[in-house]
Amino acid sequence: MRAKKRVKQAKKLLEEIGLEPDRVEMYNLGASDAPMFASACNEMTQRARDLGPNPLRKEKAG
Amino acid sequence: MGEPFEPKVVAFCCHYCAYSAADLAGSMRMEYSPNVRIVKLECTGKVDTIHLLQALAEGADAAFVAG
Amino acid sequence: MIVGERKPFEEIQERVKDYKSLLVLGCGTCVSVCMAGGEKEVELLASQLRMAAQLKNGNVKIEEATIQRQCDREYIEPILEKARGVEAVLSLACGAGVQLVADMLETQPVVPGLNTRFIGVAEAEGVWSERCRACGNCLLADYGGICPIARCPKGLVNGQCGGQKEGKCETSTERDCAWALIYERLSKQGRLDKMEELAPLKDYSVQLHPAKQVNEAYLKGEIEAVHQ
Repeated sequence: MRAKKRVKQAKKLLEEIGLEPDRVEMYNLGASDAPMFASACNEMTQRARDLGPNPLRKEKAG
Repeated sequence: MGEPFEPKVVAFCCHYCAYSAADLAGSMRMEYSPNVRIVKLECTGKVDTIHLLQALAEGADAAFVAG
Repeated sequence: MIVGERKPFEEIQERVKDYKSLLVLGCGTCVSVCMAGGEKEVELLASQLRMAAQLKNGNVKIEEATIQRQCDREYIEPILEKARGVEAVLSLACGAGVQLVADMLETQPVVPGLNTRFIGVAEAEGVWSERCRACGNCLLADYGGICPIARCPKGLVNGQCGGQKEGKCETSTERDCAWALIYERLSKQGRLDKMEELAPLKDYSVQLHPAKQVNEAYLKGEIEAVHQ
């Protein structure tokens, strides 16, 4: 799948500049996979919490 | 920064699957993280690496593609 | 096409670390087709450099541009002004493009962002392989359209070496034996008798470097002479 490859490439590019590759992810789900969608949202939010704020964010927050 | 950290997450969703799933999750009154901002696409095949990088460059804490 | 490969990000970063402003310059011909130095790759690299600079709290101005060809003066001219507005140019062209841009800018450093690999073809999606060594004396007619100079690691012109195993080269099980391919091709063309012909000594003298080519019909002076 095309998007999956793009996500993989993005992970590599992030790693090269020193950002955590886990900040991007790919989820495959169907049109009726509402629980899956909800869990993807929760999982990524949790990941972001664990990794902490994106260091690129601070300038804007200030 | 006294406030607790609230992550911003960007979700790139396919109009035909993940976006419908998100819609359904809404109508089923399912509770999920309010930190997620959805970007609807015609198809996730449209997602390019640059979109993911840009999401993070603009300050998102995480980004994912669903489709 | 000329196939190139992006240099490791770390190396690029090291080479441009002293510049406060940079133009990432893509090339829209060969390296664009092999997904190494076109508009898309310029965008990604520029974005990476900006993010990396921001992570280090550095303030670097990164501009982007992609031109049709970096091996042609007329395509470089329109971006000269933009290039002069930055400290250095990071070119994503092949070695030829990088040099012409450097020639035209002269006083400004031009940093290569790619390693130029070979002249080749797109074998499959995302896969490119070498086909031509630019030997200056093409013998493809004799070999069923398969070049033993470029595709046999030993460049043998009179049949295989004996190291071939099940159609693969002795240098790598991943590599097809060029001579096995030539045999199959000639067989399909009903020209196996070609295999018995002895190739004359190959004239490598035409491969002198640096090479130069002149087509008199297109020389500026000649054209003016015709119109007089």
